[in-house]
Amino acid sequence: MTAVVTDMEAGIEHLKRGTLEHAEILLIVVEPYFKSLEAAGRIAELARGLGVPTLYAVANKVQSERDEAAIRAYCAEHDLPVLAVVPFDPEVSEAEREGIAILDSAPEAAAVGAIEEVARALRAADRYCMEARVAD
Amino acid sequence: MKVAVAGKGGSGKTTIAGTLSRVLARQNGGVLAIDADPNPNLAVSLGLDAKQAAAIEPVPHSFSHHGKNAAGAYSVELDVTPEEIVARYGTAAPDGVTLLLIGRVEPHQAGAG
Repeated sequence: MTAVVTDMEAGIEHLKRGTLEHAEILLIVVEPYFKSLEAAGRIAELARGLGVPTLYAVANKVQSERDEAAIRAYCAEHDLPVLAVVPFDPEVSEAEREGIAILDSAPEAAAVGAIEEVARALRAADRYCMEARVAD
Repeated sequence: MKVAVAGKGGSGKTTIAGTLSRVLARQNGGVLAIDADPNPNLAVSLGLDAKQAAAIEPVPHSFSHHGKNAAGAYSVELDVTPEEIVARYGTAAPDGVTLLLIGRVEPHQAGAG
């Protein structure tokens, strides 16, 4: 195995039960609306308190520059780097409706391209962390 | 690399976790995808069909117990090795992803170390 990806329970209650104990990188998926941003801020605060080494926001369902700006402003204020911006994509809605994977139904979709960016950024961050560990 | 994906319900975290798992597997091989949501649907985002998804046996909670770590925080302790769990309960998904359903059992328990 080269990576473990865990889809966590929604929300924040589970974090107090040790669910992030061994996570190295936490991706907090955030949508461009206030309650989602607030939830992301709370998750980040708890995760930091629990000692998760690296936190990133992944902006999702972004439809406009204003959407992106709102997420970037909130994340900057909360010291949460935005790893990638995944656009709102009707292809994703269609795949969700049909119960199929977006990678199979629309591999060229804009949202897929953005998630490929997430993967590349994670690889780069992971390499950097490993070098830092070696340097220690 | 151990990545956890969190977010508010409906944020699209499962779609991102599933797609990310396959993309990482395509780029670098073997990925373990863990569905820790009590209402699991990562299988579909990974590309398994409803019938395959329904047939997946979750990892029993009886394989683990809660303890407290040195800092006094909640910790989950495994009673069998992660390798045994993956071998027994892992489901093959496209692109070299292996899926585990753990419900409320914590992610690191089946981690690849």
